[in-house]
Amino acid sequence: MKKNTRKIWIGAAILVLVAVIFAAVYMIAGPKAQAGSKSYTLEVVDDNGETETYEGTTDAEYLRDVMDELAQEGDFSYEGTEGDYGLYIDTVNGLTADYNTDGAYWSIYVNGEYGQYSADLQPVADGDVFRLAYEVSAGE
Amino acid sequence: MKKERSWRAGDIAVIGVMTATLEASKTALAFLPNIELVSFLLIIYTLVFGRKTFAAAFAFVGVECLIWGMGLWIINYLYVWPFLVAVTLFARKRGADSALSYAVISGAFGLGFGALCAIPYLFIGGPVMMASWWVAGIPFDLLHCGGNFALCLVLFKPVRRVLEKAADWGRQ
Repeated sequence: MKKNTRKIWIGAAILVLVAVIFAAVYMIAGPKAQAGSKSYTLEVVDDNGETETYEGTTDAEYLRDVMDELAQEGDFSYEGTEGDYGLYIDTVNGLTADYNTDGAYWSIYVNGEYGQYSADLQPVADGDVFRLAYEVSAGE
Repeated sequence: MKKERSWRAGDIAVIGVMTATLEASKTALAFLPNIELVSFLLIIYTLVFGRKTFAAAFAFVGVECLIWGMGLWIINYLYVWPFLVAVTLFARKRGADSALSYAVISGAFGLGFGALCAIPYLFIGGPVMMASWWVAGIPFDLLHCGGNFALCLVLFKPVRRVLEKAADWGRQ
C-alpha cells in the first residue's frame, strides 16, 4: 500500500515536471508576438473570389486583436466560436462558412503560406500580409 | 473477481446512458475551452463498467459526428478516447484504485491531448507541421491538464460510489 502511494506521488511529480517542460517548449518555440507599431495588410477573399483589402498600422500583437480593431472601425466584421485550440472563424463580413452544409471554412494565410495558428494565436509582425479566404473542402 | 459476461439488453441500455451523459457533459461545458468532463466520465465508467466503455466511447464519437459533421478531429476522437479507456483498464489491472492515481492519469491525458491530436498532421504536412501545431496548442493542453486533474480528484469518490451502487442494483 505504502509502495503504491509512493508510486502515485512519483507519477504526480513527473506530471508536474512534464507540464513545466511543455511550458518551456512553448516559451522557446511557440509563436512570438512583436510589441510596438507594425504595418499590416488583411485581405478577405469571399466565396466569389473577390478580395477586399484592409491596410493599416497597429500595436496589436495577435491577428484577432487586429480584426477586433478593424471591426470597431466599422468596415469589417467577423464572428467565431472558441474551439479547443483557439478561435474558429465562422463568419467574415457577413459571409458564413458552414462546414456541415457544404464543407466551407475560413482559412488563414500568412504572407502567402497556409497559417499554422488560429487568429488569437497568430502573431503580427511588421509588414505581415494576412488573408482570410473562404474555401471549400476538396471532398465536398 | 466476477468474470465480465457478454452483452445483454441491460448492457446496451448502460452504453446508451453512458453515451448520453458523455455528450451532455461535453455540451454543458463547451463554453469553457478544454475544461471537460468526458475524460473523467470515461475513466470512472471504465472502472465501474469495464470494457463496455469502449462501445460508449465510439458511440460518443458517432454522436459528435452527427452534431458537428465530419472533420479531421473525428480521426483524432476515434483513437484518443478509446486510448484513455485502454490506459484506465491497464491501470486498473495494475491495481490503481485511488482518486489521486486516476487524477494523475486524467491530467496526463489532458497534457498529452494536443500531442495525440497532432499525429494526423505528421501525414498531412510532415513533422514540422505536426510540431508547430502541437506547440501552438500547449497553453490549451496545460489548461486541459489542470482541469482534468482537479475535476477527477474532486469527483472521483462520490461519483464512483453512486455508479457502483447503480451497477449493483442493475445486477440484482
